[in-house]
Amino acid sequence: MIIPVRCFTCGKLIGDKWEEFARRVKAGEEPGEVLDSLEIKRYCCRRMLLSHVEIIDEILRFYEEAEKRKEARNQYY
Amino acid sequence: MEIEVLEKNDVNMRLLIRGVDTPFVNALRRTVLAEVPCMAIDEVVIIENSSVLQDEIIAHRLGLIPLKTDLNGYNLPEECPCKSEFGCNLCRVSLTLDAEAKEGTRTVYSGELISENPDIVPVSDKIPIVKLVKEQKLKLEAYARLGKGKKHAKWQPVSMCTYKYYPQIKIDSKRCDACGKCVEICPRKVLTKNVNKIEVRDLIVCTLCQDCMDVCPQNPPAIDVSWDENTFIFNLESTGALPPKRIITEAIKILDKRLKEFIKHVKVKTREKS
Repeated sequence: MIIPVRCFTCGKLIGDKWEEFARRVKAGEEPGEVLDSLEIKRYCCRRMLLSHVEIIDEILRFYEEAEKRKEARNQYY
Repeated sequence: MEIEVLEKNDVNMRLLIRGVDTPFVNALRRTVLAEVPCMAIDEVVIIENSSVLQDEIIAHRLGLIPLKTDLNGYNLPEECPCKSEFGCNLCRVSLTLDAEAKEGTRTVYSGELISENPDIVPVSDKIPIVKLVKEQKLKLEAYARLGKGKKHAKWQPVSMCTYKYYPQIKIDSKRCDACGKCVEICPRKVLTKNVNKIEVRDLIVCTLCQDCMDVCPQNPPAIDVSWDENTFIFNLESTGALPPKRIITEAIKILDKRLKEFIKHVKVKTREKS
């Protein structure tokens, strides 16, 4: 759903590193190198970011659309 | 006992401990994991939540956020003189969060938590708590308390606490023909080939896998990997709640206190017998 606050296995804080990771990987950097530069050394923490899919963004789209429709309806009446 | 600091920064610490045995180092490790207290959110009152995440999930996420801890200023709830289930100013810190998405979708970060004590704040301001769509709201009050790792992992001050034996690598220079096979196979690149000699480059990183011994064409192997049973490399990685040095000193204090109590009980028992 949303990026977990900590690594499931060791408990290292990883939530605050997700946005930088996602941005840099999207910009074309090698994921492994980004993880190294974020100082995420253990493979338990690395898989947390590597395998994460931010599904909350997909769910929020439904609410965004509903909000848009509501606004459109208000304008119409 | 002799302790040497190999490496230290604000989250990591690596110690070389000489002249102790495994039970002692393991006791120290377990004390760090289970007995050293730190601050974490323990109770959440949700006033309004129209986000896509349920109350419980948000409360769980808040609980896992590491908080900078002040061990001198606060008491453990069970040891606090207030004896109240709800807590007092000496054993509880309240944090509030009031977030609303006024203009389009946005992320609520840990930095938006307002603490009543400016010293007890999240370690990082950039931890996402929830994402809100326009018109959605999240309003809550959270109570942070001191706790111990044995009750819940959120109260563990460390994300890693390990030890290993200090490696000893002996190379028999008379029989070694410097074929370089051991240098090649070593996963941690401990060894290096220097002209016609195999040398140890970085002893600390050796994992004692003994692959170099297996691959050596000499019989018996010209390289011998063993370890010193009374010397340990102690690794510690703090979550940021407490500085690593404070975690170790606190752990030693707790261990000392518990051992004294143990001795007291043993003495009482022997006296009863005699």
